[in-house]
Amino acid sequence: MKKKHIICLAMAVFLMVCWSAADAAQPKLAKEQILNIAFDAGDLKTLDPHQAASTNDRSAVDPIYNGLVRYPPGDQVKVEPDLATSWKLSSDKKVWTFSLRKGVFFHPFPGFPKGYELTAEDVVYSLTRAADPKRSSYAGEYTGISFEAVNPYTVKITIDKPVSETLFLAKFASYAGGFIVSKKAIEAKGDEWIKINPVGTGPFMFDSYEPRQKIVLKANPKYFRGAPILKQVVILFMPAVASREFGLRTGELQIIEGLKEDKWAETVASFPDVVVKTFGPCESQVLHFNMAKPPFNDVRVRKAFSYAVSREEVAAFMGKGLAVPIYSPAQAPPAPGALTKEEAQKAGVIYENNIAEAKKLLAEAGYPDGLKIEVIISEMASSYQKPMIAIQAQVKKAGIDMALKVVDHSSFHSLIRDDASPIVYYASWRPNVDVFLTRFYHSDSVVKTGKKPDTNFTHYGAVDADGDGKVDSIDELITKARWELDAAKQAALWREAQIQMLKNVAVVPIIRLKYNFPMKSYVDLGHPLEFSWATYSPQITEKTRILAK
Amino acid sequence: MWTAFLRNRTALVGGVIAVLIVFVGVFAPWIAPYDPLAQDSFYRLADRSVKHWLGTDDFGRDVLSRIIWGTRISLIIGVASVVAGLIVGTLMGMMAGFLRGKTETVIMRFTDVIMCFPDLILAIAVTAALGSNLINLILTIALVMTPRFARLSHGLILSLRERDYVVAAQAIGAGVPRILIRHIFPNIFGELLVAGTLWIGVAIRLEANLAFIGMGVQPPTPTWGNMIREGVDVLINAPWISVFAGMSILITILSFNMLGDGVRDMVDPRLRGE
Amino acid sequence: MFSYVVRRMLQSIPILLIVLTLVFIVVRVLPGDPAVAALGDYASKDAVNALREKMGLNAPLWLQYMRFIGDLGRGDLGISIITGYPVAKQVATVLPHTLLLTMSAIILGYLFGVPLGISAAVRRNSFVDYFNRVFSLLGLSVPAFYLGILLILLFSIKIPLFPVVGAGEFHNLKDLLRHLFLPALTLGLLMTAYITRMSRSSILNILAEDYVRTAHAKGVAENRVLYKHVLRNALIPIVALGGLYAVVLIGSSVMVEIVFSRPGLGTLMVGAIKQRDYTTLQSVMVIYTVIVVLINLLTDLIYGLIDPRIKYH
Repeated sequence: MKKKHIICLAMAVFLMVCWSAADAAQPKLAKEQILNIAFDAGDLKTLDPHQAASTNDRSAVDPIYNGLVRYPPGDQVKVEPDLATSWKLSSDKKVWTFSLRKGVFFHPFPGFPKGYELTAEDVVYSLTRAADPKRSSYAGEYTGISFEAVNPYTVKITIDKPVSETLFLAKFASYAGGFIVSKKAIEAKGDEWIKINPVGTGPFMFDSYEPRQKIVLKANPKYFRGAPILKQVVILFMPAVASREFGLRTGELQIIEGLKEDKWAETVASFPDVVVKTFGPCESQVLHFNMAKPPFNDVRVRKAFSYAVSREEVAAFMGKGLAVPIYSPAQAPPAPGALTKEEAQKAGVIYENNIAEAKKLLAEAGYPDGLKIEVIISEMASSYQKPMIAIQAQVKKAGIDMALKVVDHSSFHSLIRDDASPIVYYASWRPNVDVFLTRFYHSDSVVKTGKKPDTNFTHYGAVDADGDGKVDSIDELITKARWELDAAKQAALWREAQIQMLKNVAVVPIIRLKYNFPMKSYVDLGHPLEFSWATYSPQITEKTRILAK
Repeated sequence: MWTAFLRNRTALVGGVIAVLIVFVGVFAPWIAPYDPLAQDSFYRLADRSVKHWLGTDDFGRDVLSRIIWGTRISLIIGVASVVAGLIVGTLMGMMAGFLRGKTETVIMRFTDVIMCFPDLILAIAVTAALGSNLINLILTIALVMTPRFARLSHGLILSLRERDYVVAAQAIGAGVPRILIRHIFPNIFGELLVAGTLWIGVAIRLEANLAFIGMGVQPPTPTWGNMIREGVDVLINAPWISVFAGMSILITILSFNMLGDGVRDMVDPRLRGE
Repeated sequence: MFSYVVRRMLQSIPILLIVLTLVFIVVRVLPGDPAVAALGDYASKDAVNALREKMGLNAPLWLQYMRFIGDLGRGDLGISIITGYPVAKQVATVLPHTLLLTMSAIILGYLFGVPLGISAAVRRNSFVDYFNRVFSLLGLSVPAFYLGILLILLFSIKIPLFPVVGAGEFHNLKDLLRHLFLPALTLGLLMTAYITRMSRSSILNILAEDYVRTAHAKGVAENRVLYKHVLRNALIPIVALGGLYAVVLIGSSVMVEIVFSRPGLGTLMVGAIKQRDYTTLQSVMVIYTVIVVLINLLTDLIYGLIDPRIKYH
């Protein structure tokens, strides 16, 4: 063999090594970039981002729309630019000026086959719409805030009273009311039309909808962060777990909404190519006492009930990997202002499971032979019925006979807002502690009788909680915290408010339940999935891709 | 009659099983090895074992005990709704068949209207509207059963009212109630009983269907349909929950069908098997 | 005969009108609020109220009723109050799947049921008869959804042969049939049980009739008696009662659709109840009753075609 040949050969080998190294660094993509994701739902309700509330609707809305700012996929603490590239705060902390990104186009829609460029006019229209109680579920977030288009790429937002950056920016993040809709699309087609024909600026655009079957989204090649790798995202409605799990196994589906049951998740995780992702933020499941009526107008009875409950055991029933006991009635840590177990312990507001103490307190309160109540609960299994059935068995040991009246989910929401149940078990996630405290524990929000009836089921702020003859309230703490501009001080005020409520045993925080989405291991979401801020499901972005098997 | 019954194997087997099931339902508290609501967080979705013959569910509750207690709900709803339907329906049918005229038109139109809906569709809609609890379920299923009994008894009476003994009774001036009760009812009772026995099976299945959709007696009350529904979600982990609860429904309905079939064979000798 | 059909249809109108009224009442009595169901728990009272207004639910009941009847009269099923999607379009996408499922079950039922029933009746108390009786009793007793679950357990979980996801696409026949197999088998088995049992008993009934006995006595060959006298007369009840069972089958199809999560009228109805989608629910219930009325009419007509003794007065 000649030297030349050897050199050639060596070069060839070298090249091949290089190629394969490059290959290893850049994993091969599957040929078909179509992602099928199936939800536990019968149909969509609305894709209007200012009204969408259910898990599957949110997950469809999220990749279609953008906000002025966003929480990076997988994160829930820091904020980064989205449609706005930068923002400034005036010295009196009342005027925020946002500079908009140039060259962002709305998706095409009838009359605008190429879409059109987003301007300040759209942003102002969209935010005004989000603030309109007739057209938005989130109007309350924007009271006392006004919007103005300074020039096509500058929006000025003025707030009557300054709030902290955390609270302010959350209102304009790519979530709920913060999603920016197209002015021209709505003016041309109407509010009803965009319910099933959303027009946004996001990485995916709406393609088609088949009732009770699926929504198809297709890639937006003009997306400002770059064209998505996925060509299509298919969101399927499949209420039967068995069907979803089977579809995942055969590979017809790549991501499914899982059953909130750890043994099930273990079995599914053992399927070939399947990983089960569990993540937050979770809905906090909190038990609210109606303090306006006997027997729970007596703090001793409420305390007895708390001692009778073992949140650890409720968590065990829901599945160890999925349910986590909580001690904060508002938000689960690490959200700022949430109570950790240590903090709750230090304040003495945990009421560790103790049947003897529960019985003693009941006897003191005049129920030596126990207590009989009937509680209304939603038929929804994992967030309502199942934990309540577990609690039912626990409190029975202390002599509390709690009958459950199971009703369908929409009746449940109507009935509890009508003050019809002595205990309300409620699972919810709110964007921050302020919203939690305001809507659940401010006296204005008391169901039926409050100034702005909402979801204050405990009547906190309107009744004497501890029996000292004076009305107990955290209204002032809530307001003070809201206008507090220092983040640490704000969090401290929020904690103080929660501890006061827990001392009066208005509520018993029970568990938070993680989202559980089994998926094929060859799906690369393109971001770490610890938290999914804007959706309750894995966020699909322009970087999401399907790798070759 | 009794010897015929004993000689009819289908009726005998069906009857014995039905009696056993009723026995289990009545004495559930003494037969069930565990409290059907007792939970055990360390023993969830456990497979069959000496301790739990049919395994446990997602709350660690004993499946066998829940099936045994579930017998009660199925039987109560099955029997009560059929009895209610039989009483109301037969009264309506007899009135229609005997009084004729406007009464007949109104009653028979009512049955036409109700029978425009497939049983299950009607039951689903009415239960959704009324709300699902034991009493409402009995009422709903009775509503489904009533027109069946009305039509059956109406038809039977039309064929009876021209019979000699009825005409004779009318001739001697017997009142309508008297004729209906003394002369007609005894002659159609056999047929009604056969139909009633068969329709208990239909009623039990209807209740199970509703429970499977989530419209039955609400949890944590153990009912077979509820158990199947809860079990379906964890079919890959614990198929025994759905399989055994369903088996109980199948056997119960089967026994009533065998009993009804056998008795009909005796009433109508042309179809007798042996 | 044409005038008979017209008359029968005219007769059905008052009944249908009462049925419509009943449907309307049942739907309005449903507990819960569609606006709350649509917006979720985060929505404020104002938003809920605004949506109720848009859904037309704040109008007085009589007006809502008039609109419902009026729209139906014009053949308009309205739009879903939840999604705003036309109900007629929703029905049009799911109805073919329901029809496909029930038709396959009816065909399977007659294909296997009639021969089984005849052979059982002719050879009474033989093994065939015994097997048939056990089979039909089981089929009569088993709830459709339970049979479906057992089949899923066997053929989808233990041996993953058939998909349980949806119903496939109409333009892909192979896919469509693969999806149809298990659900159609479930319903088909039930239908076969009904038809077997009914065929057996109608043949037995006729075998006991005088004219058959006479034919036997006259020494007419066994097969000739069977075909000439028995089968022809037995066909009437077999066809007529087949219509009755078709109605039962439509009920069972709801359960099968739910178990196999197939698109269809049944899943549409149950979904509409869950979402409190009044307009969709109303329409689906109306469609079900129309189907039942049509089946009854059809049964009557077939009756007459087969049996010349029946005249259309």
